[in-house]
Amino acid sequence: MKIIFGFLLISCLNIHAEWIEPPTRSSKGFLVPTADYIPTFPQDHGAHRGYALEWWYWVGHLETVNDGQKYGFQSTVFRVAGDPKNSKDSETETFGSRQLFLAHSALSDRSEKKYLHHERVLREGWQAQASKDTLGLEVAGIEARMLVDGKGHHLTTHYPGGGKLELELIPAKPLVRFGERGLSRKGDGAASVSWYWSYSRLKATGVLSHNGQVQKVRGFAWMDHEISSSQLGKGLAGWDWTCMQLDDGTEVKAYRLRKDDGSSDRWSAVYWIDAKGKTQHVYADQFTWGEEGDWTSPTTGLTYPTYIRINADHPTRGKQSYRLRPIIDDQEFYGNRADNAYWEGACDVISPDDEVIGRAYLELAGYGGGLGARLN
Amino acid sequence: MSLSSRFQLVWLLLTKMTFRHWRNKAGHYLLLMVIVAVGVGAFNGIRQASRSASANFGLFNQAVSGQSDFLIESPTQRLLEKDLKQLARLGKSPDWNLVPVVEGSVTAVELINGAKKQLRLIGLDLLALGNLPTLTQQNLKFSEENASWYDWLGSDNEVWVGQSLADSVGVTGGDTISFLASGRKAKMKIRMILDDPDGNLPDDLVLGDLPTVQHLLSRSGELNRVEVVLTQVDRREDKPYLAEIEDRLRKELPRNLILSPTENRAADRAAMTAAFRLNLTILSLIAILVGAYLILQALDAAVVRRRAEIATLRSLGVGASVLFSTFLLEALVLGLLGSIAGVGVGQVLAFGAVGMLADTVNALYFATSVEALSVTSLDVIVGVGLGVAFSLLAGWLPARDATQTPPAQILAKGDWSPGFFWLRKPKVGLCLLGLGGVALCFPPFIMEAGSKMPVGGFVAAGCWILGSALLAGHGLVLLAGWVRPFCSGPVSRLACSRLWDGSSRHRLAVAGLVVAVSMVTGMFQMIESFRDTIEEWFDVRFQADLYISESGVTGAGSINGIDPTLLDGLLRQPNIKYADIMRICYAKPARGVTVLAGVDMKHWSQEARQIWLKEPGTLQSVKGTEPALVSETFARRFGVLEGGVVELQTPSGMQKVSPFGIFCDYGNEFGMAAISQLEWIKWTGSERAVNVSLYLEDRSKLKEMRDQLRIAYPGLDIRNERELRDVALGIFEQTFQATHALSLIGLAVAFAGLLLGLLSIFDESTQTWQTLKHLGFSTQRFILAAGLEGAGIGVAAWVVGAITGLALGWLLVFVINVQSFGWTLLWTVPLANILWFGVLLTVVGFVSGMISASYWNFRRR
Repeated sequence: MKIIFGFLLISCLNIHAEWIEPPTRSSKGFLVPTADYIPTFPQDHGAHRGYALEWWYWVGHLETVNDGQKYGFQSTVFRVAGDPKNSKDSETETFGSRQLFLAHSALSDRSEKKYLHHERVLREGWQAQASKDTLGLEVAGIEARMLVDGKGHHLTTHYPGGGKLELELIPAKPLVRFGERGLSRKGDGAASVSWYWSYSRLKATGVLSHNGQVQKVRGFAWMDHEISSSQLGKGLAGWDWTCMQLDDGTEVKAYRLRKDDGSSDRWSAVYWIDAKGKTQHVYADQFTWGEEGDWTSPTTGLTYPTYIRINADHPTRGKQSYRLRPIIDDQEFYGNRADNAYWEGACDVISPDDEVIGRAYLELAGYGGGLGARLN
Repeated sequence: MSLSSRFQLVWLLLTKMTFRHWRNKAGHYLLLMVIVAVGVGAFNGIRQASRSASANFGLFNQAVSGQSDFLIESPTQRLLEKDLKQLARLGKSPDWNLVPVVEGSVTAVELINGAKKQLRLIGLDLLALGNLPTLTQQNLKFSEENASWYDWLGSDNEVWVGQSLADSVGVTGGDTISFLASGRKAKMKIRMILDDPDGNLPDDLVLGDLPTVQHLLSRSGELNRVEVVLTQVDRREDKPYLAEIEDRLRKELPRNLILSPTENRAADRAAMTAAFRLNLTILSLIAILVGAYLILQALDAAVVRRRAEIATLRSLGVGASVLFSTFLLEALVLGLLGSIAGVGVGQVLAFGAVGMLADTVNALYFATSVEALSVTSLDVIVGVGLGVAFSLLAGWLPARDATQTPPAQILAKGDWSPGFFWLRKPKVGLCLLGLGGVALCFPPFIMEAGSKMPVGGFVAAGCWILGSALLAGHGLVLLAGWVRPFCSGPVSRLACSRLWDGSSRHRLAVAGLVVAVSMVTGMFQMIESFRDTIEEWFDVRFQADLYISESGVTGAGSINGIDPTLLDGLLRQPNIKYADIMRICYAKPARGVTVLAGVDMKHWSQEARQIWLKEPGTLQSVKGTEPALVSETFARRFGVLEGGVVELQTPSGMQKVSPFGIFCDYGNEFGMAAISQLEWIKWTGSERAVNVSLYLEDRSKLKEMRDQLRIAYPGLDIRNERELRDVALGIFEQTFQATHALSLIGLAVAFAGLLLGLLSIFDESTQTWQTLKHLGFSTQRFILAAGLEGAGIGVAAWVVGAITGLALGWLLVFVINVQSFGWTLLWTVPLANILWFGVLLTVVGFVSGMISASYWNFRRR
């Protein structure tokens, strides 16, 4: 009951944008996330096969216990449903054809200034499985499951060169649901909504095998689980997104939905999560996403605005300013298809006084074009 | 004389003297060059064709998925999907991609004009292919831009083909192809023609999504292998990296599976066909040898013709070494020009031979498709190098001959020639025959895949051929001596006495023919022995009424087997008294590969008729092992002719078999161990039969039942004993096509040699003929005498060649075959064929003599 009350309170605080009622089905026939849905866990950590798109996303900053070497990591599993007529049904085939999975894993080595990344695209089957009852992912080199006590989860990620990161992730704050009435809106399209649930601060401990060394690591991670059937509204080219974990124990999540003409969509937003897990947010008219520098990829030739300044009006604390600085310039993730490239990297958060006040992950997607069409 | 001035003199003599002779006898030298070209061409052609025919090693999917680095296989070459689940852990590493492959051979039917075509159906996870580095570069597209990924995955029957296949069978996207596989007839639909601008896709490759292909082949849940493709393709040659990857793969590999670098498979396959390819190479070398012999003959004749010129040059102070160099250079130019032309001829011959060699490799060894023929720089170097080397060797003796005789003697004696002393002395020939006998004691050389190379046998064959060629001249003189008393007319007496004189030229002509005749006679015997043995084997072994197997598949490496549910239905037919079901798979011994069969042991050992080398029970199976009936080849390969144990790797781990009987089998050269059905199924986890022999209750209804079954099961081949025998003999004939072709090339070169040899003989005898003419000997008589001389050479070559050929036949049947393939053949001497060959030789000799004499006479006029 307390939980329900908490959700309602958060919702009330946030209701000031236009409400667009989502349809029950997307234009392709997939289920659309419904408003006021109260997730039940661990079941809702599992796969939602009837929805077109879903991803489980972990990023974080780690340091080795022995010598304090710093790393950033990203482990993402995407699920893309197949034919809406039968994608909902479970499948036990070795080579299934109802669900497609992508596994993206990356490791940013701050001291060596090196970025390792890898992509696998697989159909549901012997190399890609996602439980629909709990957190249970086995997709190529990424495995995630609930810990036995159900309070956290275990994440294993394999890297090129025989490396491996094994982490136990324990939530330091309760799970956060973003958006109005439990729906995060991603554009004016009625179906462009998602269930967007996050653990904004996970205490991470584990072991990193990298460069032939096995070292204990610790740090903090962020986890998103997002489910939708139309991730981007029409006319949107991509998004810039960041999650910041500040040293004062709060977190900030900000995203700019970029229109085809380069301007920000009105559903772009900044969320603040306080030390107890309560959120406040503002929309596009109350924050700016400034670009202070960019980086051009020698591999794909794409240019990403990786140096960011976010100025926002906090509903209660007034003007806030955050600058993001990548720990390594080259944190471009590209898979087998160059047009799928995006920049996803570990950053420091810098205050207006030029002090490091936290750590962040920054995602710059859709700079290669065509993303909107794929996620509509 | 300085080196440069010596070279200038040699060049002057070559251009002014030698090339003048060439111009005067342009046809003669052109023919000689053609012969060298054919010799080099035969060698190079076979080399290219056998490489092209057996290079593809069955990894057809690599045209799509790119080169793989390691293979994960089951010891029986048949993986199950459940094995993949064990491999899932291995698939987590980003450093490699696991590519499961299912493949099978199918027969496309009802094509345009009712034609049939054997196709390779390859199933790959088409979606996961996108992770492979090579595919990204190839940019293969499996669907139109607007199609969703799930539209083209996991369909029941959709497949993709390359443009070359689409053109050859006349289909376009959306068309269907009817085909036979696993005993069933089904249809596949062409989803799209794959864009393949570089023509990488073989014209028999059909690609499908893996589950689709499993469905089309009726092999649900089965795979052939999993290929491992490294992510970092630029480190493929990095040995320490490969070793590290192999080590990591092995750590996680389930115990029942085998991991091997792909290059090992290529080496395994190359080793499997090594004996076959070496046999062909040796046969093709014969053409070069005969060509070299002809050069020797031609240059020797040139020395004879130019002797006066040589004597003049010597008198003018030209040194012996300069003359020697000039003749050697002539041989070099002849060899070089002939060899260069031979590279082109080789390409043409390879084009003709590649199809039949590929058929042979398919039938005997493993599934292969023909790769595009290509001439590598090594081919050019080897071909030209061999041609030139043999030409130089052949030119050595005449060149030495040209310089050794003093000018005064030459000028005085006219057409006097010292001849080749070694052709007049039988010692060398006899020594070679003896050496051949000693070589028989050499043990065979064991090659990588476990097959044996009868080195001693080949050395003996070479010694005997060469020895008999050297002795052939004595045979000629001996025969002429016997015939001489019976010659009454002047023509026959003249011909006979010339043969009885036994000039070097006559001896050379016979020697050359003897090489070809003995080889062909030996081959005749081996082929006939093989055919008779197989027929005898058929008579004894195949006593059932009907034989059932998957339709259209004849190759050793492309068997899908009969769909078990289909077979169950078939065996429920009335009028079946007994069904002898045979299941086979590959098994891995310590070295190479062999065949493991599952059979009804009681029927095989007590009821079925076999040709037994050791009757069941003669040998005692070792306790704690699986009792087996093994083939003679198996017993010889693994040294269990007197009993023993052989360890074989199977999907259920290492298993031991021990023979209690040995049967004769000519099905394959890898050997076969037959164990009980139940144990076979337990070991392999499969129930798929490869063929069934039916014994009927009422044999009078045999034809009726066969026809009924054929209608009910269009995907199965249902044959009676006679039809089965025809099919088997068809395969047999196919395997000897290349041998026949090479024998014919050798014979053609030998006959051309005879023609040239006779021309040289007449050239040498110019003064004799002129004297005879002055004495009133007419042109007709001269031509007739020449014909008889040619016929005499033919008869002598046939007699000596046939005797040598008989010895070679014995050698091929009892030494080379036993050591190479491990089977004993019945020795058949095709007397009628040999006699007809003698008649042919005599007639060809006679005609050649007349033609060359007429030509000689025409030229003189």
